Amino acid sequence: MENTVFTINNLNLYYDQFQALYGIDMKIKRNEVTALIGPSGCGKSTFLRCLNRMNDLIEGCNITGEVKFNEKDVYMNSYDVINLRTKVGMVFQKPNPFPMSIYDNIAYGPRCQGIKDKKVLDDIVKKSLTKAALYDEVQDRIKGSAMSLSGGQQQRLCIARAIAMEPEVILMDEPTSALDPIATLKIEELINDLKKNYTIIIVTHSMQQAARISDKTAFFLMGVLIENDSTNKIFTQPKNKKTEDYITGRFG
Amino acid sequence: MSNKRIRIDRFYQFMTYSAASIAVIILSMIIIFVISNGSGLLNFGLVVNDYHAKFYNGGIDNNITFSQTERPESLTSEIYYSEKWGIGLIEEENREGNTIISVEYIDIDSPLRNMRDKNNDNNSLSLSEGSIVSSIKFYDKNSALTIHGAEHMINELDTSDDFREIVYSSLGGGVRGSIITTLYIIGLTLLIALPIGIFTAIYINEFAKKNRVTSLIRSMIEVLTGVPSIIFGLMGLAVFVPLTVKYTQADSANLLSGSLTLAVILLPIIIRSTEESLKVVPDDFRTASLALGANHTQTTFKVVLPSALPGIMTATLLAIGRIIGESAALIFAIGTAIKDDISIFGKSTTLSVHIWSLMTDEPANIELASTIAIIILIIVLVLNLIVKLIAKRFTKNFG
Repeated sequence: MENTVFTINNLNLYYDQFQALYGIDMKIKRNEVTALIGPSGCGKSTFLRCLNRMNDLIEGCNITGEVKFNEKDVYMNSYDVINLRTKVGMVFQKPNPFPMSIYDNIAYGPRCQGIKDKKVLDDIVKKSLTKAALYDEVQDRIKGSAMSLSGGQQQRLCIARAIAMEPEVILMDEPTSALDPIATLKIEELINDLKKNYTIIIVTHSMQQAARISDKTAFFLMGVLIENDSTNKIFTQPKNKKTEDYITGRFG
Repeated sequence: MSNKRIRIDRFYQFMTYSAASIAVIILSMIIIFVISNGSGLLNFGLVVNDYHAKFYNGGIDNNITFSQTERPESLTSEIYYSEKWGIGLIEEENREGNTIISVEYIDIDSPLRNMRDKNNDNNSLSLSEGSIVSSIKFYDKNSALTIHGAEHMINELDTSDDFREIVYSSLGGGVRGSIITTLYIIGLTLLIALPIGIFTAIYINEFAKKNRVTSLIRSMIEVLTGVPSIIFGLMGLAVFVPLTVKYTQADSANLLSGSLTLAVILLPIIIRSTEESLKVVPDDFRTASLALGANHTQTTFKVVLPSALPGIMTATLLAIGRIIGESAALIFAIGTAIKDDISIFGKSTTLSVHIWSLMTDEPANIELASTIAIIILIIVLVLNLIVKLIAKRFTKNFG
């Protein structure tokens, strides 16, 4: 299996006249956690959404350049977006379970792909909940409403929901920013577990979090990728002055 | 300064309190008016009876054996009783306010229990309690009519062994037919309008691109909401009545054409309120669904629509209220004929139009109209509860 999951070449993104990303070049390795850091509005979330083409939903959004997922450019006309999104899952900033039961939430993705066999679905639900470290907490109310879970549980449910599709990559857009420290810790532990099987790309505002959980860190500023290296190097010996200023807290 | 603020505060509070109390007072005045006027006539018979009285002409065979039955003690003093014929008559007022003579008691052995149907020789007739006797015609003396009174009728019966015919009828004035028509209309109209309205709203809100054409459609729907219903009624008469006459067995204005007309009236209301409830579904649900590899249609029908269901239920309730309340359009589109045998392809009338036709009578029958108003209130209340129950079942997991 190829070691590089995403290869991004000269990616530019425009919202109508406004350019949000400038010539991004980047490689993302399999089974690593890549953290995207940078001040608000620097384009890191926008970049993340390019990877599973969620920016398609935004009107007036134009993209040039290449985003290769497993060697294929996802912005080719013939590329199957639905297929891409099943392979590249996403977890959002705010926990957003559907107003259905826990079971239906996780079975939603597989059902949309046409899986109807109840045994298969039961199996998927149980596996996904276990992988997301939620099964023990909810096993007795799996048919209960997902809205009754706590914020941290809801976010883990969303991760379980993404895992249910058996993706290769999980994109996480500030997954802990709406959670308390204890729930955050649980999610971070979970990310540590998950990286054995999945490639994880996480946008975060917390530099400590990036330092704790990621293998690679990419620093964005004003839509430009300033520096991209192993986390250790970025936080101890950044090459660029701007990166140093940001991680030492001089701005942002 | 602070004194002024207090005064301004008080003024605004006074305004809100008084506005709210005026609203409550008006509402209770309407309900009190309707109940005080109409509760007198409200009984079970009104709901199940036919509107048109059925008339019978009964005759008797000559060889009757009279068994003198004594007056039962349970009969009150206003009842005139004939021991010979075993029948007790009473003078009453019917729902239209006219005096009638009705059968209050009839003995089990009374010869009037076994009469010949003068209109159909193979049929036998049995006078029963609650029937209204309008006249008894004798061979050898003048007929006893309602205007002569119950006492006269009993006296005439007692003094003869025979009569040519007794004309009696069932008690009319019931609203059974109108209730059934109303329920039919509600069902048919919702059946037509709900799917079209909901799918249109989904198209406008979820699928259509936001451009000039869709905003034009939207503003046209808004204009339609403001069109007086009588104009829709004219359209029903000009379009739906001929259409249904041509393609169904109907031969004039009918229930189906009425439902179609009402459906057109309801469409803008349903579209608007469904759209509102689709708009408040958080975009988070849509992006989450799409990010899971669902396509647009799956997202719309599996996530967005169920989340909007409570709002759609409210739209349905509004629609039901509008259907029950509508009279102007229906006067044209179904006609005002009050019927007892209801068919989808036949003329008949809803409760609201029933009220209208009672009030256009000369003199207007406010009492019966108020009674029907009570029935309408009850129907609205019951349907409200049913829809709320359904909504509760559907939205168990929501919220």
